[in-house]
Amino acid sequence: MRLADPAATLAYVSFLFGLLLVVFPVSFPHIIVQNWQNARLTPIMILFTVSLNLGLYLSVAHQRSSKPGILAAACLGSVPVFLLAGLNLLLQATIAHTLAGNIPNALARVDEEILAHTYFTLIAAIFGPFLLIRLGQQFRKNIP
Amino acid sequence: MVALGINELTADWASAKWLLWIGLYLSLGIIVPWAMTRAWAHQHHSPLRPRLRQVFQNGELGLVGLMLAISVIWDLQKSEYTSDTIALGSVFLAMAGIMAGAVWIESYCRRTTGTRFRPDRAWRDSRNLTLLVFSLAIVTEILLDRFAKVTAL
Repeated sequence: MRLADPAATLAYVSFLFGLLLVVFPVSFPHIIVQNWQNARLTPIMILFTVSLNLGLYLSVAHQRSSKPGILAAACLGSVPVFLLAGLNLLLQATIAHTLAGNIPNALARVDEEILAHTYFTLIAAIFGPFLLIRLGQQFRKNIP
Repeated sequence: MVALGINELTADWASAKWLLWIGLYLSLGIIVPWAMTRAWAHQHHSPLRPRLRQVFQNGELGLVGLMLAISVIWDLQKSEYTSDTIALGSVFLAMAGIMAGAVWIESYCRRTTGTRFRPDRAWRDSRNLTLLVFSLAIVTEILLDRFAKVTAL
């Protein structure tokens, strides 16, 4: 597995996010914020990232005619869940911090924070497991 | 969000300064070096007509990606996002940038030590990772632009 394999797909996901942000500057962020408030955003993102990661991993394994490993599959299934759950907690702390301060226009800032956080978390949940797998491969190679 | 007049905030998307910013990176980082090789060949009456992938066949595109990541991290650091969001964005931009730069480093080490080196693989890896950095950079700049408009209200 090379990092360049998932990089292109992740780039397209990122471009799609940017495109939706430009084409629907009001409704797309509104959907994200509303789903976050209803606690639906994290499960949706978990479902999306785990399926995308597994699909990517299987397609790369198929291209390279190699057998998919159990450890890698477990990493792809579990790391996004931990990352998304952990970063969601971080977002809650961030929002509490923003609302606690006497900042003008705090609600709009919170919406923008949710949007940025969702984007970075999405990227982390897709790229993180592949980075771990790549580092694991490198580590295994170095063991004499 | 709607109550705060985001419509007004997004009405001037036509200005789209991030498009100019992308254009600058594309032209100065990729097209200008390629055009300069053409100019050199023309000046020296050389039959050299390199394609883009030949100019960047040793993974140099990864270095362009790393520079791009650094400039966006700098913009992110200057923004008024909370420190957690800045840290999160900076870490992932840095990781993607380092991975892109590592393609050039790996290819340099392989060429120097005579280890098996495949230019097609170096080109493909650097292209994909730079595309990733590029997309991260564009979306981050769009998010920064939106946030700057909200804070200016």
